Amino acid sequence: MDRHHVIIIGAGIVGVSCAHQLSQRGSRVTLIEAGPGPGVQGATAAGMGHIVVNDGDPDLLKLCLRGREMWRQLLEENVGDRGYWNTGTLWLAEDEEQLQSLERARDRLHSAGVESHTVQGAGLFDLEPALNRNLTGGLRIPHDGVVYAPKVTARLLSQATEVESRFGTRVTRVGDGVVTLEDGTEMKADAVVIASGVSLLENLDGEQDSRWKKILKILPREGHLAITARGTGILRHHVVEAGYQKGAHGVVEEAIACAILPRPTDQLCLGSSRRPGRAGAVDPGVMKKVIDRCERFVPGVRRLPILRTWTGARAATVDGKPLIGPVPGWNRTWLAGGFEGLGITQAPAAAELLAQRIHAETCTLDAGPWDPGRMPVLSAGGRSD
Amino acid sequence: MTKAVRITVDGASLLAQEGQSLTAALMMAGVSAIRRSPSGEARGALCAMGSCHECRATVDGVRGVRTCLVPVKEGLRVEREMKLSRLPLEPSPGGDEGGALQVIETGLAVIGAGPAGLAAACAAAELGMKVVIIDESMGPGGRIWSHRHDPPLAARSWLERAREAGVLKLQGYSVFSGRAGILDVARVTDGKRVRIHCQSMVVATGAMERFLPFPGWTLPGVVGAGALQSLIKGGLNIDGRRVLVAGTGPLLLAVARLAKESGAEVILAEQSSLADRSSLAIPLLLSPSRWKPARQLLKALGGIERYSSSWVTEARGGPGLKEVVLRTPAGDRVMEVEGLAIGYGLIPETRVAVGLGCDLEPTGAVRVDSLQQSSIAGIYCAGEPTGIAGCEAAIDEGLVAGIAAAGKTPKAGLLARVRRHRFWGQALEDAHPLREDLGKLACDSEILCRCEDVTVGDVSEISSIREARLIHRVGMGPCQGRICESAALCQSLSGSDTIRPPWTVVPGENQDISSAQ
Ligand SMILES: Cc1cc2nc3c(=O)[nH]c(=O)nc-3n(C[C@H](O)[C@H](O)[C@H](O)COP(=O)(O)OP(=O)(O)OC[C@H]3O[C@@H](n4cnc5c(N)ncnc54)[C@H](O)[C@@H]3O)c2cc1C
Ligand SMILES: Cc1cc2nc3c(=O)[nH]c(=O)nc-3n(C[C@H](O)[C@H](O)[C@H](O)COP(=O)(O)OP(=O)(O)OC[C@H]3O[C@@H](n4cnc5c(N)ncnc54)[C@H](O)[C@@H]3O)c2cc1C
Ligand code: FES
Repeated sequence: MDRHHVIIIGAGIVGVSCAHQLSQRGSRVTLIEAGPGPGVQGATAAGMGHIVVNDGDPDLLKLCLRGREMWRQLLEENVGDRGYWNTGTLWLAEDEEQLQSLERARDRLHSAGVESHTVQGAGLFDLEPALNRNLTGGLRIPHDGVVYAPKVTARLLSQATEVESRFGTRVTRVGDGVVTLEDGTEMKADAVVIASGVSLLENLDGEQDSRWKKILKILPREGHLAITARGTGILRHHVVEAGYQKGAHGVVEEAIACAILPRPTDQLCLGSSRRPGRAGAVDPGVMKKVIDRCERFVPGVRRLPILRTWTGARAATVDGKPLIGPVPGWNRTWLAGGFEGLGITQAPAAAELLAQRIHAETCTLDAGPWDPGRMPVLSAGGRSD
Repeated sequence: MTKAVRITVDGASLLAQEGQSLTAALMMAGVSAIRRSPSGEARGALCAMGSCHECRATVDGVRGVRTCLVPVKEGLRVEREMKLSRLPLEPSPGGDEGGALQVIETGLAVIGAGPAGLAAACAAAELGMKVVIIDESMGPGGRIWSHRHDPPLAARSWLERAREAGVLKLQGYSVFSGRAGILDVARVTDGKRVRIHCQSMVVATGAMERFLPFPGWTLPGVVGAGALQSLIKGGLNIDGRRVLVAGTGPLLLAVARLAKESGAEVILAEQSSLADRSSLAIPLLLSPSRWKPARQLLKALGGIERYSSSWVTEARGGPGLKEVVLRTPAGDRVMEVEGLAIGYGLIPETRVAVGLGCDLEPTGAVRVDSLQQSSIAGIYCAGEPTGIAGCEAAIDEGLVAGIAAAGKTPKAGLLARVRRHRFWGQALEDAHPLREDLGKLACDSEILCRCEDVTVGDVSEISSIREARLIHRVGMGPCQGRICESAALCQSLSGSDTIRPPWTVVPGENQDISSAQ
């Protein structure tokens, strides 16, 4: 019998992680990507690369935790751009109320077995002397870190064997186990994995089961980021304001929050914003709000030279959880998307889960919360969490 | 005429001339290494016109200032970026919300005060438009008319007309972001922001030099050909120095002439062959206005050591430049020199136009119609961004753009002149074809991207500029690919990079609240 063959659409960090996991299980993989190389076209090229254990939802926490654990196994630690930089996360509280909510988060993290501790007053400034002295305290999660997604994606792909990559090739239609390319070529496989980021559902052939097409939705969330010149690495931790996750899923208006990521290149990546829509041109007004927000937590950042600003689109879902599993009602076509602002963190865990399901293995994590079939068949308007 | 002033460099006091370019002042004091690259190499000025950012330093406490754009004044404090401190920062003025932004309302905003920009500004202002002209260099005039004391004869009337017509000048400000109707500009020396609201724009950002990597091209003391010109005009004294002017194009002749007139012992090496250049004979015969300047130029160059079909294969030294290997038809020659000025022709500076959304031609020049209007209504483009054709073309295109922006129709004679200039520009370019060997001078260990120290070998396995940037960091530094993109194209990488704000890297925001309205 022929080798098990999988077509993966999209060579972002998720598609490449799937290629890596599937090829480890003996599948022969064809990776199809519209862009010129791995991790250089979609959200993977735009994201910050914070590897963060998010405590908002118990299931998401598990997915992040498994992702973080796998990244730390996959990559060498503290070797600059090509590895896992163990910076830790420092969540920042501006007042007592926020500090209390961080303390509750700490307790939840503890019960999930995640190391974390809160700091107050001088303790905070010992950790990060550059922070605003008016801050009340923070929550430190020491094993969180930073990866540089495009490079890590390229490395992961170079390590995967039995993967044929076809760059500069666009998929125009996906059916159950069958893919059509823009030149009209039709390709069949034992399994098709769609990992095309914000375009996840665009080419799904809806005629076969239009019911699902109505309820599965990807809501793009644009984000603005900026990078400073070298010689500005004044932070050791990734620092984030306590209210950061606001506006991550569901229906949102504009949300701006301070998230500053130190890079091993002695630079700072300043973020970020959220508003509905795809990645467009940089809006100077939004960019200014982001940098002003960062100034509030790290005084002086506004005076650092900015080398570049850019936008990216996160792929959000209606219920705030990624879609990892088969297209409802289909057997051979699988989805891996909807990661919003956590796809870099979660990519290895999501890929592992998907590969385990495709190969009918026992899953490391519970598959239920992510199964695209979980979505209730109801009003298409969606609800926010 | 020049006043001696004191500046400090890394705490040490030294003498300089008021109004001199800071880079030139540093070089005169023997300081040619201004910063360290990420891997620790000493680097100095390359372009002397604000593109490469190799000359950046902390000036009066402001990080990332391009010293080639800063005029010297008494008491200037310079810290070289040899070792950057990472101390906590001072809070920014204006608190977390920032200060109020200074806003200028105008009819026409002209970007670039070279011949094209000045002509556009004069034409529009004389037709009654309110005009603001923004330029990042030390004084008006662009490349060819840049000056420290008296403006050259040809420039004088334009500067005079601009003054009389009430053109508002923002000199020493870079345009770094915007869209149709809005421009964001920042002062080169301290990042002070100004926003400009305008009805229309003329993009007249000129050209920059093409640099191709070769062993030793990152040594401090190796500068662009046009860069040497700018540095001399900015107050660099090269009297008695032995310098090699090499590369390609008519610019080399102008540079060699200025260097010679400035007292240097000049050697000139042009990579194209005499046969290539002989194709210019007919276009030259057809344009009598060029005969006299050409004769004068040839006369001025008399007596200097000249090589044709010759190019630099290596520069050696350390820390400074000591000798150069020149490949000539008669074999390789090793020459001891104190300076190397090298440039491989000019490329249109299109960042602002592209950033504004204007379409490009396949040649890389901005696409314009016969009224110099770009693909975006109300955004005109004139001079070198629309194709390299020299000063007269820049002036005439500037006039057309200015007249059109003011809603009038340029005369047919003017439009015909523009067409003739384009023909001449093309003839010049055709007469200086780059030889293929030039793209292969750098071995794998040679630096391709100077900002990020990416080597030629690092990108040998990939095929696109996009991967070179995102995976290997080519063009991720302050020059944002300006210097390395043309070099990368010669290494057979394809595509182009996206232009994102800031179109040119400026110091961080430092709003002067007191002057804000
Ligand atoms: C501003 C911002 C900040 C972020 N910060 C973080 C962070 O700090 N931490 C974190 O964990 N996550 C972060 N994220 C989220 C993270 O970047 C994404 O979740 C993740 O990169 C998604 O990866 P992906 O592979 O699913 O998608 P993508 O990287 O978008 O890849 C999809 C690929 O599919 C290709 N494709 C699409 N359609 C087709 C087609 N028809 N045919 C062929 N190819 C196609 C695209 O070209 C693209 O390369 C951030 C995102 C943004 C926008
Ligand atoms: C280094 C160099 C030296 C040259 N020397 C000669 C010479 O000796 N003789 C000759 O005939 N031709 C020379 N040229 C060719 C020259 O470009 C033209 O002859 C002529 O000056 C073109 O006029 P212009 O108005 O199009 O551009 P320029 O004269 O180049 O003027 C463009 C102006 O725009 C400004 N600018 C660009 N971007 C921005 C921005 N983002 N914000 C603010 N300001 C900006 C620049 O600082 C510059 O002052 C040289 C070109 C270069 C690049
Ligand atoms: S030398 Fe100053 S920017 Fe190039």
